[in-house]
Amino acid sequence: MSGKDRIEIFPSRMAQTIMKARLKGAQTGRNLLKKKSDALTLRFRQILKKIIETKMLMGEVMREAAFSLAEAKFTAGDFSTTVIQNVNKAQVKIRAKKDNVAGVTLPVFEHYHEGTDSYELTGLARGGEQLAKLKRNYAKAVELLVELASLQTSFVTLDEAIKITNRRVNAIEHVIIPRIERTLAYIITELDEREREEFYRLKKIQEKKKILKEKSEKDLEQRRAAGECQEQQIL
Amino acid sequence: MLEGAEFYFNVDHGYLEGLVRGCKASLLTQQDYINLVQCETLEDVKIHLQTTDYGNFLANETNPLTVSKIDTEMRKKLCREFEYFRNHSLEPLSTFFTYMTCSYMIDNVILLMNAALQKKSVKEILVKCHPLGRFTEMEAVNIAETPSDLFNAVLVETPLAPFFQDCMSENTLDELNIELLRNKLYKSYLEAFYKFCKNHGDVTAEIMCPILEFEADRRAFIITLNSFGTELSKDDRETLYPTCGKLYPEGLRLLAQAEDFDQMRRVAEHYGVYKPLFEAVGDGSGGKTLEDVFYEHEVQMNVLAFNRQFHYGVFYAYTKLKEQEMRNIVWIAECISQRHRTKINSYIPIL
Repeated sequence: MSGKDRIEIFPSRMAQTIMKARLKGAQTGRNLLKKKSDALTLRFRQILKKIIETKMLMGEVMREAAFSLAEAKFTAGDFSTTVIQNVNKAQVKIRAKKDNVAGVTLPVFEHYHEGTDSYELTGLARGGEQLAKLKRNYAKAVELLVELASLQTSFVTLDEAIKITNRRVNAIEHVIIPRIERTLAYIITELDEREREEFYRLKKIQEKKKILKEKSEKDLEQRRAAGECQEQQIL
Repeated sequence: MLEGAEFYFNVDHGYLEGLVRGCKASLLTQQDYINLVQCETLEDVKIHLQTTDYGNFLANETNPLTVSKIDTEMRKKLCREFEYFRNHSLEPLSTFFTYMTCSYMIDNVILLMNAALQKKSVKEILVKCHPLGRFTEMEAVNIAETPSDLFNAVLVETPLAPFFQDCMSENTLDELNIELLRNKLYKSYLEAFYKFCKNHGDVTAEIMCPILEFEADRRAFIITLNSFGTELSKDDRETLYPTCGKLYPEGLRLLAQAEDFDQMRRVAEHYGVYKPLFEAVGDGSGGKTLEDVFYEHEVQMNVLAFNRQFHYGVFYAYTKLKEQEMRNIVWIAECISQRHRTKINSYIPIL
């Protein structure tokens, strides 16, 4: 995944400035994402704890409810067909609301009652007390189930979000930032080398110029010496 | 004319009485219940039941064994015995049997009416009807469009017709709440049954009338108890009380005015039979509920019915005791299968 690659860019001082800015940006981005990931993980753990508690409670409540069904059947006889027959509209309904955690929207379910109890008079002649207890137990079970449902959907959504965020953090940390740093290093080495080249060229030119100057001075002296002799001859 | 039933009872009904006494002897005893309570799984329960009169009634059941299968098989056995008695009976015992089946018929009719009103398929409901309450016009229920059609075409042929006439006129059949209808039918049924037994006179009246009076009063108490906190008005409540019991007429009037359990208890204290029953009711979740106490009393009265000969009450008592036994076995089986053994001893002991 990490190769020896760097961003292809012409090394210049401007490029260096740009790269430095990008590096800073990448680091800030990585820190922000890490914070988001931490917040999500914190919420995740809380939800996990609550799910465990609710599930244990659920086991107990369901057991209690099933037993109260047996008790009611003992006293009231078989009322299941009557109950099934009279079903029309739901009494307990669910509303879905949204909750926001560090930018991730989680669905939350909330139950509400609607309408009156259409089974108020069932078991009027026998077993009414047990039936009332049964209704209460199962109502409690339904409420717990709704809560468990919201917890579990949040759990799944958060899990996805955390995975994505962590992937991004890792990508920035292990791919983007090293690449920018490598590019920066490359630019710096190129610039240094160029400077050294410039320096060397300058030095070489200075040498050449010195040689030329010496040569031309020597020439001048020779010519002057020859010139004096000529001047003296003429005189 | 001599009233001595012992002179000519055995001519018509002696065989059946002997048969029912034999069946009664094979009800589960306390020892059987102790064995059942100690079972760990439903398979153990099945093995224990094989040693009793139930025999191999679960032999053809495939795994896994569930409580509902046990219940269905026991009910089939009871129905077989009941049908046998009924088919071999002569008048007036056959009318007596018809009266006994009326209570199941009422439940079935309510189920069918509900299904027809909601335009649901009647076939599935027919399976769920109580087998003892079968009557020949059952399949014809779904041709009726409105409840009054239902009444005119179908129900007028059944033994339930006079009870419907007592309860209502035709046009109120629609709005009436199903539960109120059920209880009103039961009230007329109970009163008719009571009159029949009383007119028959003799030992039957001596045995059956107290049982039916207790049933009527018990219904009055339970209806009152269960209607606290519901939207059932006091007048409606009063129309549901059967009038053939000891509480009629002052007790019923007082009960209709009662608002909570203590007022009910005070009404009961005027009657010597019911005072000790109410005192046996525990408070809250620890002790027995009123319904448990009533069940125990009913079982006691049914067992005592077997102490006298030459009356029809033995058949009624046997059926009720057998049903109670079925309920007990189902209760114990449920406790075992749900591993909730704290209340496993709350069955009603019979013998």
